[in-house]
Amino acid sequence: MTTFKNERALRSILLLAASTLVLSAFVLGVQGSAPPAALDPEPGRPRADVIRIDGLQRFGPLERSAVTYLHEKHTRALAARNLDCLACHLPGEKALSTKFKRLEDTSREQTMAVYHTHCTACHRETAARGERSGPVSCAGCHQERPVASSWRDIGMDKSLHFRHVKAQENRCETCHHQRDPATEKLVYVKGQENNCRSCHREVPVEKVRSLRQAAHEQCIDCHRKRIARKEEGGPIHCSGCHDPALQAKIEKLKEVPRLLRGQPDQTLVKAARRNAPPIDPAERVNLVAFNHLGHETYVDTCRACHHETMASCAACHPLEGAKEGRFVTLQTAMHRGTAEPSCIGCHNAAKRKPACAGCHEAIPVKDPPDVAGCASCHVPKPEGLESGADRQAVARRLLEARKTAAASYADEEIPENVEIKALSRTYEGVKLPHRRIVKALAQGAAESRLAAAFHRDPGTLCQGCHHNSPAAKKPPACASCHGQPFDPRHPGRPGLQAAYHLQCMECHRSMGIAKPAATDCTGCHKEKR
Amino acid sequence: MSISRRRFLGWMGAAGAGFAAAGRAHAGAPPRGAGNPDALGVLFDVTRCIGCRKCEEACNRVNELPPPERPFHDLAVLEKRRRTDARTYTVVNRYTGIEGARGPVYRKVQCNHCLEPACASACFVRAFTKNADGSVTYDESVCVGCRYCMIACPFEIPTYEYDKAFTPRVMKCTFCHPRLVQGLLPGCVEACPAEALTFGRRRDLLRVARARMAQSPGRYIDHIYGEFEMGGTAWLTISGVPFRAIGMREDLGTTPAPELTKGALGVVPVVAAMWPVLLTGIYAINRRRDRIAREEREAAVAAALARAEDEAKKKLAEALAKADKDKKAAIEREVKKALEEAARARAEASAPAAPEGGGETKPA
Amino acid sequence: MPFPKVTLERPRWTPFNIVAAIIVVVGLAITGIRFTQGLAATTRLSDYNPWGLWIGFDLLVGVALAAGGYVTSAACYLFGLKRFHTAVRPAILTGFLGYALVVLALHYDVGRPWRLPYPFLVQQGTTSLLFEVAACVALYLTVLFIEWTPAALEWLGLKRARNLVVRLTLVLTIFGVVLSTLHQSSLGALFLIAPSKLHPLWYSPYLALFFFVSSIVAGLSMVIFEGALAHRYFHHKMDEAHRREADGVALGFAKAASWVLAGYFVLKVVGVAQADAWRHLASGYGAWFLVEVIGFVLLPCFFFAVGAREKNLKIVRFTAAWAVLGIVINRFNVGLIAFNYHLPAEERYFPHWMEIGISLFIVTIGILAYKFIVSHMPILYAHPDYEPH
Repeated sequence: MTTFKNERALRSILLLAASTLVLSAFVLGVQGSAPPAALDPEPGRPRADVIRIDGLQRFGPLERSAVTYLHEKHTRALAARNLDCLACHLPGEKALSTKFKRLEDTSREQTMAVYHTHCTACHRETAARGERSGPVSCAGCHQERPVASSWRDIGMDKSLHFRHVKAQENRCETCHHQRDPATEKLVYVKGQENNCRSCHREVPVEKVRSLRQAAHEQCIDCHRKRIARKEEGGPIHCSGCHDPALQAKIEKLKEVPRLLRGQPDQTLVKAARRNAPPIDPAERVNLVAFNHLGHETYVDTCRACHHETMASCAACHPLEGAKEGRFVTLQTAMHRGTAEPSCIGCHNAAKRKPACAGCHEAIPVKDPPDVAGCASCHVPKPEGLESGADRQAVARRLLEARKTAAASYADEEIPENVEIKALSRTYEGVKLPHRRIVKALAQGAAESRLAAAFHRDPGTLCQGCHHNSPAAKKPPACASCHGQPFDPRHPGRPGLQAAYHLQCMECHRSMGIAKPAATDCTGCHKEKR
Repeated sequence: MSISRRRFLGWMGAAGAGFAAAGRAHAGAPPRGAGNPDALGVLFDVTRCIGCRKCEEACNRVNELPPPERPFHDLAVLEKRRRTDARTYTVVNRYTGIEGARGPVYRKVQCNHCLEPACASACFVRAFTKNADGSVTYDESVCVGCRYCMIACPFEIPTYEYDKAFTPRVMKCTFCHPRLVQGLLPGCVEACPAEALTFGRRRDLLRVARARMAQSPGRYIDHIYGEFEMGGTAWLTISGVPFRAIGMREDLGTTPAPELTKGALGVVPVVAAMWPVLLTGIYAINRRRDRIAREEREAAVAAALARAEDEAKKKLAEALAKADKDKKAAIEREVKKALEEAARARAEASAPAAPEGGGETKPA
Repeated sequence: MPFPKVTLERPRWTPFNIVAAIIVVVGLAITGIRFTQGLAATTRLSDYNPWGLWIGFDLLVGVALAAGGYVTSAACYLFGLKRFHTAVRPAILTGFLGYALVVLALHYDVGRPWRLPYPFLVQQGTTSLLFEVAACVALYLTVLFIEWTPAALEWLGLKRARNLVVRLTLVLTIFGVVLSTLHQSSLGALFLIAPSKLHPLWYSPYLALFFFVSSIVAGLSMVIFEGALAHRYFHHKMDEAHRREADGVALGFAKAASWVLAGYFVLKVVGVAQADAWRHLASGYGAWFLVEVIGFVLLPCFFFAVGAREKNLKIVRFTAAWAVLGIVINRFNVGLIAFNYHLPAEERYFPHWMEIGISLFIVTIGILAYKFIVSHMPILYAHPDYEPH
């Protein structure tokens, strides 16, 4: 260190190196860090096969980051070498284990060893053959990789279910089972079929496997066997079920026969306290007649309403709430506007369909609902019914009395054109084809049983635009409320111009009416001369 | 919009009594934190914005900004991501392909008029003022052009007239403060055909925003952007898509900008007061150390000198004493010698004669 | 640095003079463009990047490297290290020139330079850290000027004025240290207001402390570095005392710099820990941060220690240049490279050649002024007529 032979040269080299460093830092800063190496042939495309290998979490916190594993990348590589699932998955008692190279997670060390031994061995072997291979260093696998996932849940809807019924020739026991408490064996009882999720939860509960494990073992095993027998079989790769694009390609049957499990066609919704004397009907709100048969056609799965088990609502949601129903009372379970399994929640969801959303998008959702609407469902028992009539008979009578078509005004009662010109400045006013619009909306409502049931008054439909005023044949003018922009007493109330624009534009947008575009002024207005 | 203008004026009159009083109460000191409860704001509802650029056009007109390169009705400019610049106080950007959005989403960019503005806190000539009406305005007559405001602004709003050699200004949305004073609405707000911009007292707007969220479950992300960001802003935004998807940073935190520099500024008086004391102390200690060292050195020298002198004196005295003694001895010796010689002479003279007496005589 | 030996009695067309002349001519031309056509014509500043090279280099680096003045005078006059006495005047001179050039550079950067006194005279924005910087820089420039005047007054032969100023030495030194502490630190604190724009590895509530501590390193290293250059090119101007003390100054300052760098390194680590920014170390910026903190803090710290221990002037001088480069990198990082890290590449800043030209121009003016003053005034030697103060 004490003698630099050629001191000046050394100095200039170091200076050069330092300035290169500064420069490269600039470039680095400018360009940012390089993106991680492409992980698939179509980089950036979201994938449905992204698996986080983090099973060691059940033994305690992870020491290194979880491994981001792309399942189909591996199956494809193995298929190229004529290897199948058995290359990684061991056959269990009934089906292939979903776990990698093992049947059970025995201990932290063993589980870890399984991965470390087999993954790296295969990667090494592959590399030794001169093929593209996976990492063998720790950090090669253990790092967070931001791979976009397109994974989407899949359920057994009516169509898919019926296709399975057909394929299995009505052998329900192929899939449906329950645990016999006496023998601890799985048995099938006709008429007591449940949805998978009622037992197989997100995480394993005692001996019951998680839904994920149960579904993958049972579905894929069956699909594999059928494919091996050259029969029509379902997907065996991740994307087949979980990629949105492939999901959309799953055949949908139009006509699906009704699933029979002893359910009523119509019934009065049960409302009772548990372990308490029945409520005096005189003090009770009128029970709701429910068209079970009808609703079976409105929803895709039984699970839409029977979200945990196939039991009746009141079984878990008695009037006072119960532990099984997370203490959600019957009243909330039926009326919660933001919960999809509830009556109103599901109706609200239905209102988001384009035909309804034009009006309903702008109508405030009230939670709890407006009391004015109670009578829509809670109808008094019809007169002249023999006292011993059963719930179903009562319900049938009530439902028969219900209107099936939305009320509306006669054409000539609806103004044909309405001219909006109160604000005309740069543009001329708009000549609104009022009757045409009303008819279009009415037609959309007429096609919906839900609308028919709730659009009781001929003025109900009008309230889509003529809101916040009683349903009437001659609603007040828009300007009577919206005259004043930025009224400090009603800061949320738009001014007249915005009120018009919001009403038209939001409705068009919600209904998917692309033309005229919201920014195309002359699509509606004539330019003023 | 003559109707709205008159009504608006009326509103300012009705609601403005407290507003004016508050303005007086805060005169001199900009309102901080929650600030003036009647301060104004604008609620931008992203779900209502149709991307028509009428706000941009109105902004350009009322602020008398230079004409744009491409006309405002040309919506093709939305293809590119734009920002505010020295000729544009506000821009609308289009974002497409956002997950969960039905079609494109538009977002207007302009100054958010922070409750505690970073630009105002950063300016070393106080060119920015947080007015009692909520607006943050800029005074070009004092601006030096250091552009620290642009560094400080977390929303990257202020821009600069780099192309002007003699009168470059920082350019930024003023919330149309001059119009607010006249009782007029901000240009963009007045022009918005769909009231995606709702004007009012900030505290009312927060209520309006929450009401909209409650009325349309699922329509909005459950957050009012600007309620707390950087300590809160006069302009608030609600959106149906995540804010980061429309270019709004979600990592700004809730600390107002002045808080960030408070600590560093607080150190100034401490340093200014403590350093001189400490340094003088250190100086004094060092000087004293030097002086003591010097004195000790001098003392040692003096002692050494004294010692040398003593020794010299002693030597001298000894020498003198010795000299004295030698002299005496010499005299005695001489006397003795003389006597002896005298005696010998006498003896020689009286040799034939008998010696006289004891032969002793007193020296003469 | 191209700085060949030149004898001032013979100012001929040496390579240095030619290069300097070219830079000055080009610089004057750019100056003309800048003040007639504005910043847009001469810089790549943008609305996203309001501060460029003229702030990142001329202000941030300039002020840091001019820290030699306060560091040396404090060491000599306050901490009683009289053996560094001959280093004071050159350090004060470079400090004074440095600050004067910083202020000159600011005239190029701000939009309306004739308004630079506004923050003091017209309206005081006391909530701004830039106000603190401006006030301290202005005052400190004055202090440095007064501290430097004895040399000029000796040259001019104004004995009484000179003696009057010399009597103020202590007060001026203390004042200088106070002002330097304040503005060196507040230059870092300027960026405290923009946590969303500065990369988390560099943003820290301790930014002010980082800048202050590293300015001490910069001051110490610059004194060693300039001393080496002066020794080489102005040897004939030095008196016996300077030549005798120069090596001691270099070794003493090297030892001090080593300790301060060690402290600075610890502070930087604490900064990362405080911000819990460890995870960012694994990114591209993290690698660059490590280069700065290990390559330009820890290693110079080590080599300063080695040089001081072995009394090896070569190592010390080389490490001084290295540490100076480290400070430059740090200021560039905070001001330019790690700032606006969130922006897409096309919005990032890279200086225009004219910006670089002006920066070179200003450095050249500094070197020329230094040359002139050193050649004519008693900087590197004590004036025979006067007692050293």
